[in-house]
Amino acid sequence: MDDELHARLKAYEGRPAAVAGTGRDPVNAPMIRHWCEATGDRNPAYTGPGAIAPPTMLQAWIMGGLSGHEGRAQAYDELLSLLDEAGCTSVVATDCEQEYLRPLRPGDEVAFDTVIESVSQRKTTKLGTGYFVTTRTDVRVAEELVGTHRFRILKYAPRTHAPSGQASSARASSGHASSGPAPNEYVPSEHAPTPTGREEKAQGRQEAPRRPRPVVNRDNAGFWEGVRRHRLLVQRCTGCDTLRFPWLPGCNACGSPEWDTVEADGEGTVFSYVVMHHPPFPAFSPPYAIGLIELAEGVRIISNVVDVPYDKVRIGMPVELEFRSYDDEDGELVLPVFRPRAGEVAA
Amino acid sequence: MKAGDELPPLEIGITRTLIVAGALASRDYQDVHHDPELARRKGSPDIFMNILTTNGLVGRYLTDHFGPTAVLRKVAIRLGAPNYPGDIMVLKGTVEEFDGATAVVRVTGDNGIGRHVTGTVTLTVPPGGAG
Amino acid sequence: MSVRTRDSLGGRAAIVGIGATEFSKDSGRSELRLAVESVRAALADAGLTPADVDGLVTFTMDTSPEITVAQACGMGELSFFSRVHYGGGAACATVQQAALAVAAGVAEVVVCYRAFNERSGRRFGSGVRHREPSAEGTALGWTLPFGLLTPASWVAMAAQRYLYTYGLTPEDAFGPVAVTARRHAAVNPAAYFHDRPITRADHAASRWIAEPLRLLDCCQETDGGQALVVTSVERARDLPQPPAVVTAAAQGAGRAQEQMTSFYRDDLTGLPEMSVVARQLWRGSGLAPADIDVGILYDHFTPFVLMQLEEFGFCAPGEAPGFVAEDRLPLNTHGGQLGEAYLHGMNGVAEAVRQLRGTSVNQVPGAARTLVTAGTGVPTSGLVLTRDGATD
Repeated sequence: MDDELHARLKAYEGRPAAVAGTGRDPVNAPMIRHWCEATGDRNPAYTGPGAIAPPTMLQAWIMGGLSGHEGRAQAYDELLSLLDEAGCTSVVATDCEQEYLRPLRPGDEVAFDTVIESVSQRKTTKLGTGYFVTTRTDVRVAEELVGTHRFRILKYAPRTHAPSGQASSARASSGHASSGPAPNEYVPSEHAPTPTGREEKAQGRQEAPRRPRPVVNRDNAGFWEGVRRHRLLVQRCTGCDTLRFPWLPGCNACGSPEWDTVEADGEGTVFSYVVMHHPPFPAFSPPYAIGLIELAEGVRIISNVVDVPYDKVRIGMPVELEFRSYDDEDGELVLPVFRPRAGEVAA
Repeated sequence: MKAGDELPPLEIGITRTLIVAGALASRDYQDVHHDPELARRKGSPDIFMNILTTNGLVGRYLTDHFGPTAVLRKVAIRLGAPNYPGDIMVLKGTVEEFDGATAVVRVTGDNGIGRHVTGTVTLTVPPGGAG
Repeated sequence: MSVRTRDSLGGRAAIVGIGATEFSKDSGRSELRLAVESVRAALADAGLTPADVDGLVTFTMDTSPEITVAQACGMGELSFFSRVHYGGGAACATVQQAALAVAAGVAEVVVCYRAFNERSGRRFGSGVRHREPSAEGTALGWTLPFGLLTPASWVAMAAQRYLYTYGLTPEDAFGPVAVTARRHAAVNPAAYFHDRPITRADHAASRWIAEPLRLLDCCQETDGGQALVVTSVERARDLPQPPAVVTAAAQGAGRAQEQMTSFYRDDLTGLPEMSVVARQLWRGSGLAPADIDVGILYDHFTPFVLMQLEEFGFCAPGEAPGFVAEDRLPLNTHGGQLGEAYLHGMNGVAEAVRQLRGTSVNQVPGAARTLVTAGTGVPTSGLVLTRDGATD
């Protein structure tokens, strides 16, 4: 977690977290009754003719439930991914603030939009160090704003020792390891990272789905060894000095089998790109952008374009190299990826 | 009613049934709210109450007290120690402001391991409705 | 054919029989049985019997070996069997192989076939997640960890660059190709999309698969089999069907060629391997684009149809979208792989034969000279097929 991270996180403020979502069901008496039964609420305002829904049900009407959430925007996933990659792999719901402008009644069909309202400075808490992310959801019925729902989570790097306080003593008394994650580090799925895997591993003990691995053999092992050491190595023909990528045991320009390597300085531009939508693959969360990066040295490489919304990637965008670790069920995978060059993000 | 008045406490028995029923009534299917085995595997001693149920209980605490004509305007809560099965949460409230129509009530909910929730509720109370 | 000199293959062999199974999403039978059914149908069409066959050619990707097809079809001894690599790039090359064998006297009657349950069985479109560390697997391995895993995505990388270079939108550039294919398929009872034409608006409204490719830029996946019978022109003249003469046949691979991932060369706006094929076909046939009555251009994805038209010189670079929109060349009259079926290009060869026979559902009056191409984005092949005497 460096200072630069906060600036990158701040860039997500004001971006959508969900767009044009709709409630799975209209406001309805059965769900109201189930809620009142569960909470023991016998308020007569919630039954009979003219009944209103308990105002505190506001969020329940926009939950995706088992059928999943819709309208979820990429920016929110990207923000959470950035935090994951910075080691803030745990998440805890901390605050819920709701304002009710008018009661909801059976038959009301709710629609909602969620924006990323703010990302805090780095904070050190009992649980660990991380960032508070606040989203605000506007709930509407037929274009009329009926309520707002502000939700705050803490994305944090868990401490290696148990957080102090009663929660840890509860775990200790139940005989559980005191180094486990905080017990309530779960948030309703609307606010949880999309379960692409990395997050699940952080939250629980489940392993992330496997990213396809590089195909390594004797001809290209040197490249991937370089990547593990955070060096992007390009082959150079010692016969004619032509640089080449991908790695091959001979030069296409002159046929010479002799070569050495040069280390790319990491600057490049997007030569072309694709936004993947379908079909989905377990380790990837569509839509996502893949770039064909032309390095300053002149060779091209396929890679991911990171730290920029998928719909902002453009041909000609200046990018710079970064090595990232992707941990999954097969262990650690280091990949060379490219982020927009500082100060040159395309509009 | 005036600032400083305390509401009678409300004891809520945190049963397994309440936790699961609240999670399902709020359409929150995160496994840590209904599956003890998976909850334990994720480092929690048991299942625990979700934030939406807590929100509902806080709302209920206020409307139980002020009656069906009271209208909730704002509910803002912050979570602390989890509500595990077998615990008891005691909700308490203190009137912070009252201007004759709108009340602001400070709410706390403590359980056996600490403070589960702190919150502030703003509601409109019709004349004579402040029981 | 040769890259450097004119070859002597043209006019020596002809396609005399075509046969196919139905095209479906679930054939309900084995790939071998689809192969056998299509081979027998092609032989029946040619007026020949399995006993006449002494050569078989298929794709390296095919799962039905020549010897097994021969056994199950009732064929006897074989003197020629060959396979061509690189997926759909093999389609026209199977005919070239057959023609070479016939011209050299290595075999007299050669059947080319391709059969698969590509929809109900192993779907190419579902993507690749692992490859062996062979040279071939390693080539694809550069893209896999980053999530570039499907044929559509590999094509999309070049398509994006094409749009950028010529200042085009996906709707205007690719829409006409999709609409043309579906218009032809709509009147083809054998087509999967029979009676289901689309509009430019339908294309533009279809969902993204791999931007800039939409659903309607991608062929539907297919179960089925297609076979072609090749023999000498002399023998062909004694058979019941009018011969489709192999006037020119060529394979092509470009410099720094890869399979679907030729990202590291050139400007990505063309298909250099198809240029290699085009130069040979024009020289070998003595024909020019203006002489072609019908074009059957491989269309698993719309963008590469545009690039092929440009590589063959039907129009200038960047002008193919307008060329297609204006219907300046009868194109993929069976509905193409976008509309009829994805049979790895072999159904396109059959359509060219039908045009020369005068039996296409979208018959071009008097069609005498056809151009057929094979898989794009891979090392590929092409044919100029003509009516007997059409190039004399």
